[in-house]
Amino acid sequence: MAFWGRILKRALQPARPSSDAAALCSSYSTNAPPQLPRFDHLPKPYKGPSADAVLEKRKKFLGPSLFYFYEKPLNIVEGKMQYLFDESGRRYLDAFAGIVTVSCGHCHPEVLDAIIEQSKLLQHATTIYLHHAIGDFAEALTSKLPGDLKVVYFVNSGSEANELATLMARMYTGNLEMISLRNAYHGGSSGTIGLTALNTWKYSIPQGEIHHVMNPDPYRGPFGSDAKAYARDVQDHIDFGTSGKVAGFIAETIQGVGGAVELAPGYLKLVYDIVRKAGGVCIADEVQTGFGRTGGHYWGFETQGVIPDIVTMAKGIGNGLPLGAVVTTPEIASVMAQKIQFNTYGGNPVCSAGGHAVLRVIDKEKRQAHCADIGSHLISRLKELQQKYDIIGDVRGRGLMLGVELVTDRKEKTPAKAETLHLFEKLKDLGVLIGKGGYDGNVFRIKPPMCFSKDDADFLVDALDYSMSKL
Amino acid sequence: MMNDGGNRIENRVDGLFNKFCINIVDGKKQYLFDEEGRRYLDAFGGIATVCCGHCHPDVVSAVVKQMNRIQHSTVLYLNHAIADFAEALASKMPGDLKVVFFTNSGTEANELALMMARLYTGCQDIISIRNGYHGNAAGTMGATAQSIWKFNVVQSGVHHTLNPDPYRGVFGSDGEKYAKDVQDLINFGTSGHVAGFISEAIQGVGGIIELAPGYLPAAYSTIKKAGGLCIADEVQSGFARTGSFWGFESHGVVPDIVTMAKGIGNGIPLGAVVTTPEIAEVLTRRSYFNTFGGNPVCTAAGLAVLNVIEKEKLQENAHVVGSYLKERLLSLKDKYELVGDVRGRGLMLGLELVTDRKLKTPAKTEIVHVMEQMKDMGVLVGKGGYYGNVFRITPPLCFTKEDADFLVDAMGYTLSKM
Repeated sequence: MAFWGRILKRALQPARPSSDAAALCSSYSTNAPPQLPRFDHLPKPYKGPSADAVLEKRKKFLGPSLFYFYEKPLNIVEGKMQYLFDESGRRYLDAFAGIVTVSCGHCHPEVLDAIIEQSKLLQHATTIYLHHAIGDFAEALTSKLPGDLKVVYFVNSGSEANELATLMARMYTGNLEMISLRNAYHGGSSGTIGLTALNTWKYSIPQGEIHHVMNPDPYRGPFGSDAKAYARDVQDHIDFGTSGKVAGFIAETIQGVGGAVELAPGYLKLVYDIVRKAGGVCIADEVQTGFGRTGGHYWGFETQGVIPDIVTMAKGIGNGLPLGAVVTTPEIASVMAQKIQFNTYGGNPVCSAGGHAVLRVIDKEKRQAHCADIGSHLISRLKELQQKYDIIGDVRGRGLMLGVELVTDRKEKTPAKAETLHLFEKLKDLGVLIGKGGYDGNVFRIKPPMCFSKDDADFLVDALDYSMSKL
Repeated sequence: MMNDGGNRIENRVDGLFNKFCINIVDGKKQYLFDEEGRRYLDAFGGIATVCCGHCHPDVVSAVVKQMNRIQHSTVLYLNHAIADFAEALASKMPGDLKVVFFTNSGTEANELALMMARLYTGCQDIISIRNGYHGNAAGTMGATAQSIWKFNVVQSGVHHTLNPDPYRGVFGSDGEKYAKDVQDLINFGTSGHVAGFISEAIQGVGGIIELAPGYLPAAYSTIKKAGGLCIADEVQSGFARTGSFWGFESHGVVPDIVTMAKGIGNGIPLGAVVTTPEIAEVLTRRSYFNTFGGNPVCTAAGLAVLNVIEKEKLQENAHVVGSYLKERLLSLKDKYELVGDVRGRGLMLGLELVTDRKLKTPAKTEIVHVMEQMKDMGVLVGKGGYYGNVFRITPPLCFTKEDADFLVDAMGYTLSKM
């Protein structure tokens, strides 16, 4: 009995990583599939519509353009911390966090408390009246930012935040041209669709005075990690494509939708300089990288040693609440007083209370350090996996914002699109919900709720190992 | 502060924000409470947003229940809440309007609507009505047509047509005459073909201006002949506020695209675009995605709102109490020279103050004074219009006759002391 008990216990525990990659080879190649780490939560019994019924209604009432993951899409009915549950009560490891959005964890009790308490008092009255929640939250948020970044505008999404940031840049500088990076994603509204630079997301409508510069992509870029060479392209665009003066530059520090691409080290410092000399302001899109996710720093831009003029945020800011924000300096904010700019829902008491709770949780639970910790463990295990499987072309990112790029040929870097899709499905079958991105859809995006544990990380890598071994 | 009538801008900003500093900490039904526990009648509804009433138990419980289960996972996975709400919403729509897109605000909804119209028609030109408000992002700022809301940035592709304003417009209430301006703009300002036309059924920010009778059918017809789509911005007039479920219904038209926000979720950040399957198809050309849009909590709230509106017969209440309120406001007009015009439908009413009835000179300082006085008496109203001289009365739809009486009495009392 004890013998079987030990075997069972071993089987339930993910294999401990060793420095010897060869030792890993034996772990999940031929044995039984890895098991989810234990979790003490029983989902409520689900009595609602089935996956098929929901899918049918979606097709009928939500349009043909609404896409979804997986051949057989999952009916996700419940969430708890870093796990999701489907209609049958089956548990999954959420390695994508509703697209880098659920920062504290699904239904995090402290965040829920704040939201529910406020919902019972006052949900909405708008900022034409006073309410403490918005001021308190703005104060707490700005205390996390360096320099003179202390004026906050609350909006309802990343798109709205980037729209406002662009407006500010143009108003403040009096210039028109905006610069963004190829492979970036900044939103889907009229202005932001222009900043977004991936054709999948760009509809055929006029998109204004935007210049898309070479992506300082260490893996696929023509200059490798040579930041200077990429920065020269920005100067080039300014010199030859604009009047010589620009409104601003916007970039994610680690491109999200674009496939967890880290900007070549030193790039932002050089470019910020160039842009400011051309009269422009520098906007850091922290919609995905913000709030401690990158581990080493609270904000992604800090990893590049710069201080932007405007910072935009959304997604993780509210753990899933429809909330976004733009933070800038009083000087830049002052130009907004020329006209009236108003956001009806923005800064409502419930979202402000929720956002504030998120900040407290991240601090109290030391999520930033945790991301650094788990992130580096995850990266090292993924890099070991990279030594084992040729299909892993690149492993990159920081903290809990990671990417694994799959290629069929390491030299040519041919995107392994079909294989990625296949593994994507297999991972789901094993109980791992991962993200997908990149121009060719061949990058796994690993951006879980920031309460992701070491055991979760091991399980994820083991699941990857197992599925890849079966390819 | 900028020029462009700097004083006017300062007044407007002051009037909106500085002089009206009350700390609102609690809300229940059609009442708000300040930090001292003082109760106010909320005749503005958080800008026509709180339709069921502050902290309506059905809506709150739907939100809480869903929050405790799952808040957010995106539409990449299935969840019944979004599907159920989309179905219920579509059932409120006439014709072939049955495909729903969820966003987080009115601005996002209008942005998407404008993009769809441009993609569907292959044309760029949009026509919107002067004095209209549609949002503040790049595209919607162009459609918005009041200088105070338009920053000095490029806003191409939009033409602003004459406002069919029965009170201040050049053609009085002759809707068809105004509609001719639409044809004029198309003939002389565009290639002859347009992407579409967007309008509110009753202008909200613009000061509760009802489009002159006969206007919308004529304008729609003109736009359709030019190959364009008709977009109805129901952000303020939707969800039973005007006594009809949708504002456009009272104009006897069926739009091609309908946008909504504000009342849709009783205050939760939610917006939507409803259109036909044919038009919706354009988005399949590329990918459009809204991370927060359609999340289980907001859609659960939206469904609860629809149920409350039906269960508590809020549409009927808006019509009955609204008509009563309008009549009482009209009696104020009979009594006080300062009241230039009373207009609107259901619980979307406006009262314009003028210092001279013939010249219709906006009573800008007087309105601020009355607004302050009313606040002191316990009534919170809204303000709008190009000159900031229109009271906007858009309370939660559970507003009662007694509330209406109190509002009018408070206003009457203030006016009598001037």
